Amino acid sequence: MISIPYILLIAFAGALLSFVIHHIAPKLRTPVALLTTVLLLYFVWALPANSLINIKIGDFILTWGTTAYGQLFGMLVAVLGFFTVLYSTDFMASKERLGYFYMNFLFVIGGMLGIVYSQDFISLFFFWEIMTWSSFMLVIYCCKDAQSIGLKYFVFSAIGAYSILIGIVLLYSSMGTLQFKNIFGHINEISTGIKISVIILMIIGFGVKSALMPLHVWAPDAYAVSPSPFTALFSGALSKMGIFGIGLVLFKLAAHTGFYSYVQYTLAWIGGITALLATFYAIAQTDAKKLLAYSSIGQLGYIIVGLAIGTPLSIAAALFLAILHAIFKSMLFMATGAVYMRTGTTNMTEVSGLIRKMPISFVTALFGIITVAGVPPLGGFAAKWMLYESLIQSGHYFLVIVIFAASTAAFLYLFRYIFSLFLGQEEKEWENVKEVPWTMQIPMILMTIFVLVIGVFPGLLLDPISSAMQYLNVKPFDYQMSVLFNNWGGKVDMQIVVRSIAAVFILLGIFITIKGYRNTRYVTTKDIHTSGEIPTENENLTYAVDFYKPFERSIAPLLKASIDKVYTLTGDIFEQAFDYLRYVYTGNGQTYAMYVVLFLAILLLFSELIFGIIL
Amino acid sequence: MNINWLSVLGIITTPIIAFIVGVTYGGLTRRITARIQNRYGPPSSQNLLDIIKLYSKETSIQHGVMQHLGPVFAITASITTLYFIPVIKNSVVFTNLSFNGDLIFLLYIMVFGSLGMALGAGQTGNPNAAIGVSRGLSQMVGYEIPFVLSLVAIMTQFHTTSLTDLLAVQKHFADWIIFQSPLAFIAGILAFLGMMGYAPFDVVIAPAEIASGPPSEFGGKYLALMMTSRSIFTFAKLVLFTDIFLGGASDFITLIIKTFLLYMIPVLTGIVFPRFRTEQSICFFWKWPLVFGVLAILVVVL
Repeated sequence: MISIPYILLIAFAGALLSFVIHHIAPKLRTPVALLTTVLLLYFVWALPANSLINIKIGDFILTWGTTAYGQLFGMLVAVLGFFTVLYSTDFMASKERLGYFYMNFLFVIGGMLGIVYSQDFISLFFFWEIMTWSSFMLVIYCCKDAQSIGLKYFVFSAIGAYSILIGIVLLYSSMGTLQFKNIFGHINEISTGIKISVIILMIIGFGVKSALMPLHVWAPDAYAVSPSPFTALFSGALSKMGIFGIGLVLFKLAAHTGFYSYVQYTLAWIGGITALLATFYAIAQTDAKKLLAYSSIGQLGYIIVGLAIGTPLSIAAALFLAILHAIFKSMLFMATGAVYMRTGTTNMTEVSGLIRKMPISFVTALFGIITVAGVPPLGGFAAKWMLYESLIQSGHYFLVIVIFAASTAAFLYLFRYIFSLFLGQEEKEWENVKEVPWTMQIPMILMTIFVLVIGVFPGLLLDPISSAMQYLNVKPFDYQMSVLFNNWGGKVDMQIVVRSIAAVFILLGIFITIKGYRNTRYVTTKDIHTSGEIPTENENLTYAVDFYKPFERSIAPLLKASIDKVYTLTGDIFEQAFDYLRYVYTGNGQTYAMYVVLFLAILLLFSELIFGIIL
Repeated sequence: MNINWLSVLGIITTPIIAFIVGVTYGGLTRRITARIQNRYGPPSSQNLLDIIKLYSKETSIQHGVMQHLGPVFAITASITTLYFIPVIKNSVVFTNLSFNGDLIFLLYIMVFGSLGMALGAGQTGNPNAAIGVSRGLSQMVGYEIPFVLSLVAIMTQFHTTSLTDLLAVQKHFADWIIFQSPLAFIAGILAFLGMMGYAPFDVVIAPAEIASGPPSEFGGKYLALMMTSRSIFTFAKLVLFTDIFLGGASDFITLIIKTFLLYMIPVLTGIVFPRFRTEQSICFFWKWPLVFGVLAILVVVL
């Protein structure tokens, strides 16, 4: 009963049903969508470990099956899918075209589940396209500039998709099969040139989705305009499909070739530079969603670095971070969405001081940023620790500095994010802001608990990761439920860390609360030290514009260099080139008729050369 | 369950010793600064007296729960950092939790307090506090890079990420890492200048510019807790650098001599220099300290 075709059937049938039911009984569309994700969650969770389905269509055999690696990402998609749809119920309640929204939303989820269970390249590509198309539909769902931003996303997705497609065609033409089991491990049967092309094309294709620089330019805008619940899924799960693909290409194809170390080295540095530059761009943003979008690009950079380094510890760190990033970035996008829902803006220079009005969202955002920052005792620390240790111990001395600079600089944008939205002056404009409804709080609270638990027991997540790594033919690594080890015999025991932090924190927290409890009173944020001047009611005391001006000054040359400009330039050049092409495609029927005649004439004249026969 | 009473003793006494040493260093600094500037200066117990006075104050105001907990975050980080650093070499009492100590872990736990403090300062709504935090975080990106370069050089040279192992390497005077890896020491000590926040890198506090920045809304018990935390944290950082570069200490007298000498480097530098602008301060760390750090790694690798 529980098998992969059912999962896909549920996802796609649920998608169509929620579209149809939108026109029949609008009240039922949300429950239908929610029910679909609940069913998906159960089915994915209960899916037997060795399901395998072969479907014969013409000459091709489509194979769907579960692997530990696919299941890791499958669970992620199912869980996040459920959370984001639950979050949507109230967030999207007042929006239009909800049937369209839920249909595409479920199509994306179905597409992603299809990708992780594909065991041949045809299915992989098919589901990849479903995912891309429906996510494109959601990017253009609303908001201004959605058209041009959607186009940018579409163009880059198309570049990615065609790269993958050409790679697949090359594989098929040289190996005659597209089954994973016939290709993985047999890659050396084809010539080196084709091997190199296939690997580069596939990495480009998957790299687009994981926003690898310089293929990232679509991401900040697309993340910023898509509706918040979808942004959470977009950055959380959809970008991980790119990581999923790169993982497959690296460990199943490239690892068996002679030039593996070059691929690793190049990819690691691209990842490192992506992490650093994206972090710097994030610091300069004023829109919370764009900031988080650049932050996502940076985090994906770390993941790529981890995968590319290729030591067991670094791969574990990368997969750990991939799962964790999905969770914490969804938390942050959801908190931002909550702010957007109540204030109507995500501009960090406008909103401020929401902490007392939206405590749950604040706590979610707080735990989110602590996890991103990698500060103990939350889950982010384990990921960062494993990544650094593996980088240092595998001799990537300068890459570790780049990564470290990026993650220290990440504190800047993280603080700005939480400070601008939730802390700072409590302004009159936002006096009547309320906390979001419980349907939005539940996913946020659950994920907050998740990062906390993972921080204390990283082993919970490392168990499925180590079986996924087994599938990727990576050597096992050492870990215990809450103890991490490195190759030089160092270790960190999270239990001791968490216990000592908790003990000191609680002790002193109680002390400071009890001491003078009655005399400690609350005062507003207008009642502050301003060197004797008393601020008037409407005086703006918020420090939010150009928050990191000094820092931006010191990295000015880096910020100026924008790859987007290069693409715009390329676009202009093409546009001019197409202008010349217009002389050829005149739009006049007579001219086209002439072309046809000319083409036939050429065909007749050179037929021997082309086809080897005389027509 | 066996309770090792010596460890319990260490866990209780270490923060207290750290506090007393740190606060005395703070007082001495004020006096030394005064003498260099040809003033008489306050007594060296002044900081301790200030803190006692602040603890005994009754009324306190707060701007919300994050500000309330900000100083607690800070002191938690200070004390926890201290617990994971071996204070006295091979001592049963003062080992605390340092057998688990790991340099990468220490780097991150040290940030924990600043982050909490920044959040606390953020909730006060004081623009000067926000400016101070923004400067502080920017500057941190500056000095962390040379510091990590120096740490990576050392970790690679001795093939360990553990502080205890580094101490074991430096048995004799000639084995101190300052002599084994002088370039790493230079990069580290320049980063240390920024870390301690004395002039010319006092952009965070900047008394005449932004009215002491982040702590400006904290008074009474909050300020007392913050000052306590600062004293402990100063000591923790000094011990960390002593352990990394100066071979640690086997007894308290050696420890005090070494940490005091180390402490005088940023203090004395601070007295003769005016303040940098924030971007100058950041760029400073990305010039010579960075070069020394890279050289230190290259020397190890080649």
